[in-house]
Amino acid sequence: MSIAAKKRLEGYGFIAPGFLYVLLVLGYPLVYNIILSFKNVDVKTFASGTSKFVGFANYIELFHDPTFLLVLKNTFVFTIACLAIQFTLGFLLALLFSQKFTFAGPIRGLVLVAYMMPMSVTAMLGKNMFGVTEGVINDLLMKIGLINAPVEWLVSSSTAMIAVIAVNCWVGIPFNMLLLTSGLTGISQDVYESASLDGANKFQRFFYITLPLMKSSILAVLMLGFIYTFKAFDLMFIMTSGGPLNSTDVLGTYAYTLSFTKYEFSQGSAAALVLFCCLFVIGLFYLRLTTKEDD
Amino acid sequence: MKERFKKILAVSLAGAMAAGVLAGCGGSGGTASSSAADTNTSASSASSGSSQTSGAVKEVSVWHYFEHEAQALEKVAEDYNSSQDKIHITCTYVSREELMKQYTIGAVSGELPDIGMVDSPDMASYISLGVFEDIDDQLQEWGELDKFYAGPLSSCMDSEGKLHGLPNNSNCLALLCNMDILNAAGVDTPPTTWDEFYEVCKKTTDAANSVYGFAMSAIGNEEGTFQYIPWLYSTGADVTTLDSEGAAKSLDFLGQLVSEGLMSKEVVNWGQGDALNAFAAGKAAMVESGTWQIAQFDSGDVELNCKYKYALLPKDKENASVIGGENFGVCAGTEAKDECVDFLKYMMTAQNNADWCETAGKLPVRSDAAELKDFWTADERYAVFNEAMNSAVARGPHESWPTISEAIYTAEQAALLGEKSGTDAMAEAVAVVNPILEEVPIAAVK
Repeated sequence: MSIAAKKRLEGYGFIAPGFLYVLLVLGYPLVYNIILSFKNVDVKTFASGTSKFVGFANYIELFHDPTFLLVLKNTFVFTIACLAIQFTLGFLLALLFSQKFTFAGPIRGLVLVAYMMPMSVTAMLGKNMFGVTEGVINDLLMKIGLINAPVEWLVSSSTAMIAVIAVNCWVGIPFNMLLLTSGLTGISQDVYESASLDGANKFQRFFYITLPLMKSSILAVLMLGFIYTFKAFDLMFIMTSGGPLNSTDVLGTYAYTLSFTKYEFSQGSAAALVLFCCLFVIGLFYLRLTTKEDD
Repeated sequence: MKERFKKILAVSLAGAMAAGVLAGCGGSGGTASSSAADTNTSASSASSGSSQTSGAVKEVSVWHYFEHEAQALEKVAEDYNSSQDKIHITCTYVSREELMKQYTIGAVSGELPDIGMVDSPDMASYISLGVFEDIDDQLQEWGELDKFYAGPLSSCMDSEGKLHGLPNNSNCLALLCNMDILNAAGVDTPPTTWDEFYEVCKKTTDAANSVYGFAMSAIGNEEGTFQYIPWLYSTGADVTTLDSEGAAKSLDFLGQLVSEGLMSKEVVNWGQGDALNAFAAGKAAMVESGTWQIAQFDSGDVELNCKYKYALLPKDKENASVIGGENFGVCAGTEAKDECVDFLKYMMTAQNNADWCETAGKLPVRSDAAELKDFWTADERYAVFNEAMNSAVARGPHESWPTISEAIYTAEQAALLGEKSGTDAMAEAVAVVNPILEEVPIAAVK
């Protein structure tokens, strides 16, 4: 065997475990899921084995279902609102903590506590804090005079989403701050120094130095944020169970309900696959952006 | 530096995508490998017992979600274990949510206990999914089936009427009144009709102290449907006639309670425990309460600092309540089917059913068990439930009950939140429910 062939074999040897892992843990369920979504497996056909391929029927049914369209809308509203809020505030906090002031470190550490908390705990906290009569949020808002009567946060289908977004941002802001801070520290101070010598003011320095140099970390933060937010499940599941009236139902919770509550396995798979496709497109988009940059 | 940072992020992005894929796949019945793994240890430790057929003793695992009743169940198992030396029963507590998920996963993977407990309205779905064995022949030979009440027994049947398990206990709903508040408002006896009920709600509501006349659970799950069913049936309507005037009326009536401030809007997020807590805290003068809650008062789990009284739920046209309760079924693929059936028969003899229901504070499912003790007639609280049982209706049995139930509680929530009129809300439910019932009707059992 030639040395080159040996080297090539060695290379395959190195990637084999990873490849097998991906194939087993990701490939198999994904393929199973795709097959399931093109069949009509539900409570009637599951055990009897009479399920058959029905083509795109599940998808057509889903996209004609007003609840699913609402769920799709909810997912995007939730994701985009969360991204906008947590990115802006996270960036501001990152800039703030990049300044050197007393207690900057400890305070930044405290902000991170929200991110370290398990989502289930955060969701339980959120549920209590947004309570109508006993909730601390309403109490605070009334005390500072912003509202006269308690807001029916999780009770009303028009405000429940706001509450869920607020709780998610509480976790998302420190996450954004953390990643953006590491991006900020990567920028050499020399660049800023020479810019200020040339007479650039603070805004110019931010827009012409910080932002361009942060481009790759900003992109990464937005992409990661999108993915984490888009596949939200635990927050809604615990805080609102998707209610009231599906107003906080997102793709993750909806697919779960279809499969595990209503035993509409095929439709649940189809909904899960829609979720996957959305994330896949975002992932491709990110890959293209980053590879372009490398060229 | 920048390059490396990007690489790290690329890797974590790949990881996040992977997580996304898994989360997506988690939604499909057959591929929930991660959640299956969570419970794998308990599953294998429990079911491995049944395969140990060495020696004379056969191990049988029982999974249940009883909490304060667990000890009473353990006692039944212990008595059974010591009564013979061929079969050994081991009871394992699995949280309700987890157990239900495990049945669905187990239908694919085969990881099931030998005997499983299930909430009665869910049984038909699991039978259809192949979770429970057909044990009809063995139970017919037993010759005691005619002693069981028809409603609970029907919930163990498949669409052909074959039994896959036995009901274990029953409960139903009644009206629990805080007589201190009622008396202070000049009301001496609990209301019996909707009109009286409405008046009492009005008299006892105290907006200044956020005390409501009534509390119930209208949450978006089976509990919400459970608590709504009596209001539906009281108008003469039922699940098959959701497009009737009565069905719309029942929603409008409950919606009116909310819109006039006699019932908190928060009921749409309240489980039955939450509604009871509001009542216990003096924030509601009346509450829709279940049989099992009496045991919680007696054990001190829920403290009631008031004079209270149970009464039948108020009626519109007819008295109505709803049957709840748990069944035990023999799971598919067990290697000890006969032994499982033997234990079920033992657990459900008249004497054992009576003993167990008395200890656990539940209603028996056998008429001859109820006759054995005066527990259900001597205690006036249980007596009310015993009477309510006469007009209590079963949910289903129907394999698609979860879908029917979702349509019902969604309609209820829309009406309570004032988003739709009773007629409009019910029209949407009908669009879901009627096609299902046309395909497979609910087996008529009375």
